[in-house]
Amino acid sequence: MPQQEYKLVGKSIPRVDSKAKVTGEAVFTADLELPRMLVAKILRSPYPHARILNIDVSKAKKLRGVHAVVTGKDTAGEKWGVFRYTRDQQLLCVDKVRYVGDEVAAVAAVDEDTALEALELITVEYEELPAVFDAWSAIAPGAALVHEDKPRNINVEVKIDVGDVDEAFARCHLVREDTFVAEEESYFMTEPYAVVANSHSDGSVEVWMPNASPHTKAKALSNALRIPLSQVNVRKITIGGAFGGRSDVFPAEFITCLLSLKTRRPVKLVYSREENTIATRKGHAMITTHKTGVDKEGRVLARESVAYLDGGAYSSTGPIATSVPFLCHEQAYNVPNVRFTGYRIYTNKPIGGMIRVHGRSFACGIDTQLDMIGKELGIDPVTMHLRNARKAGETTPTGSYVASCGMTECIEKTAAESNFLDKFNNPQPLRGIGMGVNSVQTGFPLGIRGGSQAFVKFHEDGGATVVSGVVDNGQGNDHMLVLIAAEELGLAPDDIRLISADTEVTPTDAGSYSMISTFGGGNAVKRAAEDAKAQIFEVASHMLEADPQDLVAANRKVFVRGAPDVGVSIAKIVRQALLMGRPIMGRGSFAPEVDQRREWITNPRGQLSQAFSFGATVTEVEVDPETGMVKALDVTCAQDCGFALNPMVVEGQFEGSVAFGGHGGMLSEEHRWHGGHCLNPTMLEYKIPVMKDMPRIKPIIVETIDPAGPYGAKEAGMSVAMSAAQAYCNAVGNALGIYFNHFPLTPERILDAIEKRKEGQGIRTAWEFQPARVIKTDDGT
Amino acid sequence: MRKQLLSLTVNGDPVELAVPPNYTLQEALRNDLGLKGVKEGCSEGVCGACTVLMNGAPVRACLTLALEAEGADIVTIEGLSKEGWLHPIQEAFVNLGAVQCGFCTPGMIMASKALLDRIPNPTDDDIEAALTGNFCRCTGYAKMRVAVRTAARELQEKAQD
Ligand code: FES
Ligand code: FES
Repeated sequence: MPQQEYKLVGKSIPRVDSKAKVTGEAVFTADLELPRMLVAKILRSPYPHARILNIDVSKAKKLRGVHAVVTGKDTAGEKWGVFRYTRDQQLLCVDKVRYVGDEVAAVAAVDEDTALEALELITVEYEELPAVFDAWSAIAPGAALVHEDKPRNINVEVKIDVGDVDEAFARCHLVREDTFVAEEESYFMTEPYAVVANSHSDGSVEVWMPNASPHTKAKALSNALRIPLSQVNVRKITIGGAFGGRSDVFPAEFITCLLSLKTRRPVKLVYSREENTIATRKGHAMITTHKTGVDKEGRVLARESVAYLDGGAYSSTGPIATSVPFLCHEQAYNVPNVRFTGYRIYTNKPIGGMIRVHGRSFACGIDTQLDMIGKELGIDPVTMHLRNARKAGETTPTGSYVASCGMTECIEKTAAESNFLDKFNNPQPLRGIGMGVNSVQTGFPLGIRGGSQAFVKFHEDGGATVVSGVVDNGQGNDHMLVLIAAEELGLAPDDIRLISADTEVTPTDAGSYSMISTFGGGNAVKRAAEDAKAQIFEVASHMLEADPQDLVAANRKVFVRGAPDVGVSIAKIVRQALLMGRPIMGRGSFAPEVDQRREWITNPRGQLSQAFSFGATVTEVEVDPETGMVKALDVTCAQDCGFALNPMVVEGQFEGSVAFGGHGGMLSEEHRWHGGHCLNPTMLEYKIPVMKDMPRIKPIIVETIDPAGPYGAKEAGMSVAMSAAQAYCNAVGNALGIYFNHFPLTPERILDAIEKRKEGQGIRTAWEFQPARVIKTDDGT
Repeated sequence: MRKQLLSLTVNGDPVELAVPPNYTLQEALRNDLGLKGVKEGCSEGVCGACTVLMNGAPVRACLTLALEAEGADIVTIEGLSKEGWLHPIQEAFVNLGAVQCGFCTPGMIMASKALLDRIPNPTDDDIEAALTGNFCRCTGYAKMRVAVRTAARELQEKAQD
């Protein structure tokens, strides 16, 4: 159908969930109140690494108002891991604690004060152990082992080698090697983590919590609690942001369920801001060495990258987190010969997870180095990016066919809109302009799920209810589903009710991580609506004495194409269908065409994701050399989102991405540590962007109409988040004539780099870091 | 701790509560009155999610002791729309896409209300000054600025009618 025929998709209309959010009606997990509900609190390890010798909970149990105390003894040492081979996190520590904040015990009591008092009455005897706090010391021979069975503290090792890298380097006109370092960043979603669990006498338990996949949470809880999956009912709840930080399964929900099952009462656990920071997930600190070889025109012929990720105490999504920075890059750039070795290293720190910018040091390293190479060759950044940009119809080194790709258009449009070359060629003192480009997946297989399914049922008044497992973390998935169903069925968004993300009712779905919701869940709902529409047309064809193929659904009616005045209302058709004993019930299912044999470590080849988004961002800044402060002036960002289902929502995603990935991500956001203690776990010390900080943002939507996306849609925002990080970094570098290689670019770092800047030393990075190399382990591998 | 009596007006209704002296206004509004639109994002006065109006001025309910509100007139997000009609600020936030996850939204709207009550025709600097203490992690603030400007215009037109 040509785009102009769409009634709803492609238009900027208010989100269906926004009314409840502006009135205070939207209920988040911490807002839930249930009769006889108890309050839970968790006792955490004060040590980064220690053996647990004994835990005495007798006094705590006796405190008035305490209803249950649980420790590792109550869990049989149950372990969680995203993959079978990464099950390394005990849901309550039994033998050892591995980071400051590790869960040791928990209580349920009548109120918060009593629960906190009970925690103080628990005595734990620890034997402190030597600890490791960064990747270099963790991989040193003889270093303390976070997990005894993991030599050199290597948690994950990803190896990819495509083409003939060494031969290609030998042919290169120019080869550079540079090392880039980035510290940990955090999500700081505005809603702190919370869980409510309610156990019932039939043995079932209901759970509410912010999540990125209710079905994944239910499965993990079912396994850990040894309750049938059908009896673990993860319920729908409003979620205050995720950004990758709600994807995993945490001890919190397990503990809350356990306490509820023990006490036979509802239990609520609400994390403090500190707990949200240290005991959910955070970004990885990362060291990346890129060696890149180009021809005379700046075309990259070969690249070898080695990355060390500081993973913290447990695996989490380790194999994915280690691979994705590389995979985004191989999608964004056409690099024929490429070798990647990625290590995720255990340290005695909080756990690293997926975050909005996949690998700051990797991504920003690529684009900084490209600028350096361009400088050596006398080629501007726009040309460098265009020459190496991915194009539709190509296949990535690890074997993903790219069906749609607007990378070139994104680069050209942001360059033109920002007047890039003019500004780059006529530099003003202390002003800088920089460009970044990147690409992300629209969902990848995790080995634990299929695609997405959906149902559409009708009410006698012609309204419909859509049932889908897709969860909304705040990005607008609920709206997206309603919009698609309404478009297909010829209804208004108000006519559609949505039941979603409730594992008791909704069919399975892949979860909202890896940017799959629109592509997967959206397609499933579209198919369910198409199925329902076919049934409606079938009934209507008798009523209108017309061929179903000639029918159209619009404005709550069905009519013969070209004769909108003589239609019948959908309500009437629905009632007729009921009379005929054929109630309208649409079903749809969508599983992306990906290579199911692909595996992160053992087999990193084959189709990773069915579609990819592409983005380019240009940032303009002004730097104060006295204070090291950066003022962002203008940001122009473009992303190929396939098709903008709702341009206003897509723009909002772009703008949020600039703030998170670019502005905060590159200028201020990092954790600082002392002996495994996070020094800035709260919003006061960790600086996220506020309104005053933010520059003008010009969002540009690029549409390539992906052949498999719903209406051609892919995903909205992630390619902007990543490319914005790169653009900010290059812009600050451009303002000062410095190639930064330690992120984020805080005032201290900028001042240090200015001080260390030496003229006439050629094109070099601001700091010299020890390069990341392939690790030779004792057994010679 | 012994409870003390507190009387105040909340969203137009007189209310009497018995609260411990260390109770915050946030706890009183959320726990005793069920006004869950008063969000708890940090509990230390940084994020602004708990912003309510106290005698017309924006306050952080998490930093305000409940007993400080004795005799005060408190307005929360729940008190803004009248009989199902959205306030123009709410309307603008909805229509212009200034709401994503919605956790910051109540605080952001209450802070905007305080601003527009004080300065009906705010400059961009006024808007920034009034809202820069309210954290939003989703939107990048761009659509919020537009929403507040639009609501200001709307309110002024209404005032002239
Ligand atoms: S909860 Fe009051 S300012 Fe954050
Ligand atoms: S909309 Fe999510 S924090 Fe503002």
